Amino acid sequence: MKLMNKVFAGLVATGVGLATTAAFAGDIRVGITMRMVSENGQAYGQMVMDEIKAINDAGGINGNMIKATLMNDECKSDKGVANANKLIFQENIHLLIGSTCSSVSLPIVDVTAKAGVPQMIPHSTNAKITQKGSEWVFRIPVSGRYYGGVNAKYVGENIGSKIAYICAADAASVGDCANMEKQMRARFGVDPAYRADVQEKEVDFRSHMQKIKSMNVDGILVAALAETMARALIQSYEAGIGEDVRRIGSSSASNAPVPKIAGDAAKGVFFTAAYAAADNRPIAKLFNEMTRKRYGIHAPDHDFSQAYDLVRIMEIALNNADLQLEQWSLKQDRTAIRDAIASVEGYEGLASGPISFCAAPTPQCRDGNRTAVLIGYTKGGENFETEVLARVTMEPDFGLE
Amino acid sequence: MVFLSRIADLIDALASRHRLLPWLIAYVMLLPLPFIMSTFFNSYLIDLANRACLFILLAVGLNIVKGFCGQVTVGHIGLYAIGAVTSAVLSLEPGGFGGALGFGLPVWVSIPIAILVTAFAGLIVGLPSVRLEGAYLALATLGLGESVRIFIAVTPALGSSTGLMMIPAPSIGSFVFDSFTSYYYLVMTAALVGIYFSFSILRSATGRAFQAIREDTIAASVNGINVIKYKLLAFVLSAIYAGLAGALFAHMPPGYLHHNNFTVIEMVTLLLMVVLGGIGNVWGGVIGAIVVTIAYDQTKDLVVYFMDRPIVVQPLVFGLSMVLLVLFMPRGIGGWFEGVLRNRRFIKRSEEKLGGTARNSQS
Repeated sequence: MKLMNKVFAGLVATGVGLATTAAFAGDIRVGITMRMVSENGQAYGQMVMDEIKAINDAGGINGNMIKATLMNDECKSDKGVANANKLIFQENIHLLIGSTCSSVSLPIVDVTAKAGVPQMIPHSTNAKITQKGSEWVFRIPVSGRYYGGVNAKYVGENIGSKIAYICAADAASVGDCANMEKQMRARFGVDPAYRADVQEKEVDFRSHMQKIKSMNVDGILVAALAETMARALIQSYEAGIGEDVRRIGSSSASNAPVPKIAGDAAKGVFFTAAYAAADNRPIAKLFNEMTRKRYGIHAPDHDFSQAYDLVRIMEIALNNADLQLEQWSLKQDRTAIRDAIASVEGYEGLASGPISFCAAPTPQCRDGNRTAVLIGYTKGGENFETEVLARVTMEPDFGLE
Repeated sequence: MVFLSRIADLIDALASRHRLLPWLIAYVMLLPLPFIMSTFFNSYLIDLANRACLFILLAVGLNIVKGFCGQVTVGHIGLYAIGAVTSAVLSLEPGGFGGALGFGLPVWVSIPIAILVTAFAGLIVGLPSVRLEGAYLALATLGLGESVRIFIAVTPALGSSTGLMMIPAPSIGSFVFDSFTSYYYLVMTAALVGIYFSFSILRSATGRAFQAIREDTIAASVNGINVIKYKLLAFVLSAIYAGLAGALFAHMPPGYLHHNNFTVIEMVTLLLMVVLGGIGNVWGGVIGAIVVTIAYDQTKDLVVYFMDRPIVVQPLVFGLSMVLLVLFMPRGIGGWFEGVLRNRRFIKRSEEKLGGTARNSQS
C-alpha cells in the first residue's frame, strides 16, 4: 500500500505541476529557449538571466518585474517548438527569446506568428528566418546573407578566386556556404574550386585536405560549428597545406573553442562576425572585462555580445511599450511590445553596427544589424588574440535578389 | 488496487458483450479531453497529449517487433524518419519556400504512400534479422537507422540541414487540422486504432507465432512456424506504425522536419518508453509513452544554480529517475500493473472456489 500511496502522490504532484500556470498580473513574462548543452550555451543563458536579474534589481521596467523562464531546446526543432508552445500557452509569456540554432528558430517563427507573440532571435543567422514574413520576429544578429557578401568581397579582392569549400551539415554553415558561393559567382563569376559537404560533427577531413592540397587553391572556406572547424583547421596543416593558402571561417569561427582547440592552426584564420573582442570602444572593453570577471571568459564571442544587446534592446522596448499587464490584456501587451521593438532605431551597443527595426514584416526591416566585422586571429590557444580587419555595412536589400 | 481490479473486470464484462465496446467507450471518453484541458488547465496540455499519442503509436509499434517477437531493433527511429520525410516531400508544393523537393499531393494521399514506403523499408531493416540476433542485430539496425538520418542530412532535396518547412496540415474541405484541438482528434484516433490492432495481433495466430519465436526460435521452427516469414512480418507491421506516426508528426503544426529529430538519442528515448512501460505488454508501450512524455515535459525548465552558474538538470533527473524505475520495476510499469491484477484475480477466484467448496460441504 505504501508504494501505491507514493504512486498516487506522484500522480497528484504531476497533475498539479501540469495544471500550474505562471500567470501573475503585474509581471512581464519572458520565455527563453536556447541550446543549453554546451559550455557556451549555458554561459549565454546565464548572461541573459543575469542581465534580466540586474534590471529587476534596479527596479524593473516601470516598476514591473520581469519573470524569465529559461528552457533548453538542445538545438532540436521538435523540442524548441514544444518549449515555445509551453511558454506561450502555459506560461502565457509576453515575449519569446530564442533560439540559438537556425533550425530551431525557423519553425518557432511559425508558432509565434500564429500565436501573436513577439520573438527576438539572439543568434540564428539563416536568412530564411526573416524571409517568412512574420510581423512578430526580430533578429539581433547579422543575417547570413550579409556575412556571405562581406566574406566574398574580401576574399575576391584580397586573396583570390580559387577557393575550396568545406561545408558542414548544420543549418548555419550550409547557409554560410551557399551565401558565399552565390556572392563569389555574382561578383567574380567563379564557382568553388572544390566543395565537400561533410557531417555536422565530422572528425576526419584528411582526404579532402589532400585533394585541396593538390589543387593549389588560394583559400579554404571552412563553414562548420566550432569544434568541427577547429579539427578541419588542424588537419589542413597536417596535410601540408601552407600558410600562404588563407583559411576562411564561417561566423562560428568567432566561438572560443576554435582558437582554443585549433591552437596555432587558428592563426591567420579570418571570418565575419557581429562583434570583435579586439574592439577598442570603451563599451567593448567594459563588456570584455565583465565577461572575464563574471564567467571566466578570456575573450567573449559575438554570441555573448548579441545576447547582451538583445537584453538591452528588450529593456528599451519594454520601457517604451504601454503595458497593462493584466490577465485580460495579454494580447494587447504582446502587440504593444512588438510595436515597441519595431520602433527601436539606431541602437548602438556592442554590435558591429547600429541595430534598427521597422514595422514591415520584411527581411529589410527585421534583420536589425547590417554591419559585419571582419576579424582575423593573430594568435591561437587559450590566450588567443584577434584583430579587426574591416567593418562593412550592407544595403538592406543585399542578398535578397 | 481494488479500483484497478474492478475497472479490469468491467472492461472484460464489456468486451464479452462486444469486443469493440470498451474501445468505443474509451474513444467517447477521450473526445472531451481538449475541452476539459483548455477550460480547466491550459491548451498547451493538448499539444502535450498530441505528442504523447504520436509516441504511443511509435512505442506500441516497436513493441510488436521487440516485445512480441523478441527482435532487438534499434533502427525504429529511422523508419519514423522515412514515414515523416516521405509524407512531407509528397505533400509539399513544388518549388516551395524551403527549396526542397515537392510533389503537391494531397495529405490524405501522401500519408498512405508514406506508410507503404515505410513498410517496405521495414522489410529491408528486418532482413538482417534472418541471420543475426541479439547485439549483432541491434548494431545492424542501428546502422540502418542512422544512415537514414545521415542521408536526409546531406540531401538538399530532403531538407538537408535547413529542414523541410511549411509542410501542409491535413484538411477536409475547408476544415484544416492546424490547431492543437483538431490535430488531437487525428492523433488520438490513430493511437487508439493502433492500440486496438496491436491487441488483435497479439491475440491472433500471428501474435502467438511471434511469441513462440521470441521464446525459442528453434522450437518455433520445429513446430512448423516459418521463422523468417514471421520475423519479417513483425518488422513490416512495426514499420507501418512508425510510418503512420512519422507522417502524422510531419503534418503536425508548425509542419517542420529536421534530421536532428531522428537521432540515436530519440531512439534511446523510444526504447526507454517500451522498457519502462513493460516489454511485450501492449499497455506497457502506452504507459511508457505517456510517462516519458510527461516526465520530459515536467523537467525541461528545471535549472539549478551551482556556483552562480545555471545547470539544466533535466538530463540528470530524467535519466536517473528512469534508471531507478527500471531497477525497481524490471518488468516495467505495465508489467507491475499486470502482476498486481493477476494476483487479485487469482485471489478472487480462489476465494470463489473456496466459497463454493464450503457451500457444497454445508449442503
